[in-house]
Amino acid sequence: MPTLSKRFSIKARDYLRAGEVSIEVQEILKKIGFGAELIRRVSICAYEAEMNVVMHGGDGTLHLFVDTSAIALVVKDSGPGIENIELAMKEGYSTASEEAREMGFGAGMGLPNIKKNSDSLKIDSEKGRGTLVAISFEVKGP
Amino acid sequence: MNRSSSYIQMDQALCTGCVLCMKACPTKAIRIRHGKATRDETKCIDCGECIRVCPKGAIKAVTTWSGKTELSSYSVVGVSPVLYAQFGNEVMPNDVLLALRKIFDYVYDEAYAHELYSAATELYIKGNRGKEDAVWPLISPVCPVVNRLIALRFPSLLKHLLPFIPPREIAAREVRKRFTKKKIFGDHEFAVYHLSPCSAKMISIKEPMFTETSYLEGALGINDVYEMVVRHLREEDEDIMLHVSSGAGIGWGMSGGEIAGLDDVSCLAVSGIQETIRYLEKIEMGLFRDIEYFEFRSCPEGCIGGPLTVADKYQAKGVLQKFGRMFGQGKRVRRAQAQRAYQEGWYLSETRKIRTVKEEKRLSIAEAIARQERIEAILQKLPRKECGHCGSPDCRTFAEDVADGKLTIESCFVLNPRS
Repeated sequence: MPTLSKRFSIKARDYLRAGEVSIEVQEILKKIGFGAELIRRVSICAYEAEMNVVMHGGDGTLHLFVDTSAIALVVKDSGPGIENIELAMKEGYSTASEEAREMGFGAGMGLPNIKKNSDSLKIDSEKGRGTLVAISFEVKGP
Repeated sequence: MNRSSSYIQMDQALCTGCVLCMKACPTKAIRIRHGKATRDETKCIDCGECIRVCPKGAIKAVTTWSGKTELSSYSVVGVSPVLYAQFGNEVMPNDVLLALRKIFDYVYDEAYAHELYSAATELYIKGNRGKEDAVWPLISPVCPVVNRLIALRFPSLLKHLLPFIPPREIAAREVRKRFTKKKIFGDHEFAVYHLSPCSAKMISIKEPMFTETSYLEGALGINDVYEMVVRHLREEDEDIMLHVSSGAGIGWGMSGGEIAGLDDVSCLAVSGIQETIRYLEKIEMGLFRDIEYFEFRSCPEGCIGGPLTVADKYQAKGVLQKFGRMFGQGKRVRRAQAQRAYQEGWYLSETRKIRTVKEEKRLSIAEAIARQERIEAILQKLPRKECGHCGSPDCRTFAEDVADGKLTIESCFVLNPRS
């Protein structure tokens, strides 16, 4: 089965280039020809996950995996980690910096939005040890 | 050349095979092959970026006027306010309309339709607030290039287009109705044309997205009539008022003009094709949920930056801003009239035909993933100088062309300087 695997790097606090990785992911999925709704959901999740790294993480990576049955995004960073994952999943809960908020980010909707738009979300994080977020989507239809 | 409806023509004799049009094309429809620019017309959105950058003038937009010196039958012309901005500060909109009247049988000011349209847009937005099935942000359907760009590259956003017939079409429909009823030209046939700065109006008339067929017979470019208007401007003036719009309607000629007429609506105006693409990508990623309405114009600074204009866009903007102050920002249309028309369904689109893009062959998802893998592998080998020397616009597109067997990797000039 053909599997596409591509890794992108994300720089922390690089607000100027923030979103570029998600746009590239979106382009690749469009080129493959997935349905518009699936691409929209993946794009939203990729963007939220990318922004989380930009806002909170040390530098990180987004790894895109695509095959005929699923699309997965694995986002890793070397940031401060999430102290309380359950709390982080709550809408409106945010630990974003003043800098991020001033630019209109950090409204505490990132992880809840990913949860809402994906088929599966796994978060592995500990305070001081960085964060790994694995998001996947089923590919239905022919 | 199988799409008969192409209104952007490339003159092979004048083309020197430089890379400028290929680099400027937002949909990567152009390649340089055998030393000449060629175009995949299924990807062309008629934006005219290539016309703007060609140093040899080898690319031209075809209008109804092309190759003609007069129009047959009685001609009725709807005028984009961009025309008013072409003759400097001293020439008033009414002078321009009077000069046009000497060339055509009847002219009307489209800016008035713009004011009605703004009022209707406001009613639609306010009426849909809080509705569960409402789609936000809405996207203005006025720029035909943006509509085609969305159909081609952002199909998931088609449902965001405000389901309204563009104002130039509404104005033409109403004029047509009135003239037929009142027999203005007796029993003679007449034709309604749109006079505009835009290279995409011809295609939007031939293949309309919001009506079954267009209410317009064709489009004329501002550059088609410019010299004739200048000639007639010097003539003795008649004393009639053809200009009926306020500064609000005229302001539609520049970026931000459409949304300036929307009261108490959260909206944003974006112009230029690259900026438009950036914003559409972000809307697709779920951003801008707090914006209700987006005005996009593919030309820089809005329609005054259109490829068929004559005056410089910043000078034109200065003129429109002056008219804005002079004629005021209040709408001339009566609110009650706009509301009644809205309730009668004046504005609502009759249909939404999506111009489907015929691809050469539709790959299965498995094949497409395999192709993408090949592209990524080829891309790894490329120097990423993005020079375009190979005849493809950038390294990624070159990798796609190689993966599709259209080129070999040996065509990369940086890898193979002797190629």
